[in-house]
Amino acid sequence: MRYVLLTIISLSLCSVAAAETIKATVNGMVCGFCATGIEKTFKAQREVKTVNVDLQNRLVTIHTKEGETIDDAKLKKLIGNAGYSVVNVVREKS
Amino acid sequence: MNTKTFLTLLFAIFAGVWAGEAKPLSYVGGTMVMQENDETGHTIALDYTFTPTEAFGLYIKQEENGKDIFMLTPELNTLLKRWNLPDGQGNIFNMSGAGVANYRGNNQPSLWTAFLADYESRRFFFSYEPRFVWDGDIEKSVWQRARIGIAPYLANYNDLNTWIMFQVDHHPAKHDHFVATPLIRFFYKTYLFEIGYSSNQHIMVNWTIQF
Repeated sequence: MRYVLLTIISLSLCSVAAAETIKATVNGMVCGFCATGIEKTFKAQREVKTVNVDLQNRLVTIHTKEGETIDDAKLKKLIGNAGYSVVNVVREKS
Repeated sequence: MNTKTFLTLLFAIFAGVWAGEAKPLSYVGGTMVMQENDETGHTIALDYTFTPTEAFGLYIKQEENGKDIFMLTPELNTLLKRWNLPDGQGNIFNMSGAGVANYRGNNQPSLWTAFLADYESRRFFFSYEPRFVWDGDIEKSVWQRARIGIAPYLANYNDLNTWIMFQVDHHPAKHDHFVATPLIRFFYKTYLFEIGYSSNQHIMVNWTIQF
């Protein structure tokens, strides 16, 4: 029983401390000059470790810090503030 | 004129003139400095984007190729409509200013408003901008600009972007009613630079920095 509890606690701690990779497909993002807004907007967020913009695949990839996340509503608001629209979000724990 | 002919004509006019310069809005919290030196004179604008649809700033212009009018106005830039598409983005903006104009020591109130419609994909660019200026008893003018551009290669985010563009200005109040300017646009991250040469033999040099 003790081992089971320790395992559950360990897994929970791992889950809490995990960082997240968020891949957002974005409409309207056609030029690097404009996409700079996305990079600057996300770099200013405390949850964000790195952000990468891929114009060819219309993809914004955000790596969060350990234990941090950005929910869909905030993600859409931030990308909307930069002038674009989110059409799909994929999340991976890392 | 029947409806079909009218719509065809409307589409042809619309498609023919749609094209832009740097957008008058950046991202929320972003500041942008734009400077233009072309056959109409010298312009500098400093804008701060405070909502996703509004930027406020200062617009200064020294006109040439006609009356040498100096204008100084605060300006408000508003995004009226945006279409975010999978392969492109279309916008309609309004830019308006109210301030002072000076011509040979004569100060007059200055009001101006402009609409900018643009569509941009990674390959093509179109914009159209009509502008209406009222400088008291110095001058009242209507001016319009259309621009079309093509990117010779598709650049990604961290690459140098290059555009080959062609701009047509129409200003009935000046000597050269129609002025054509072929130009090259470069931009890299937050720096945009344009250079061209107009049909009335003026060098165009424009730049924009976003920070």
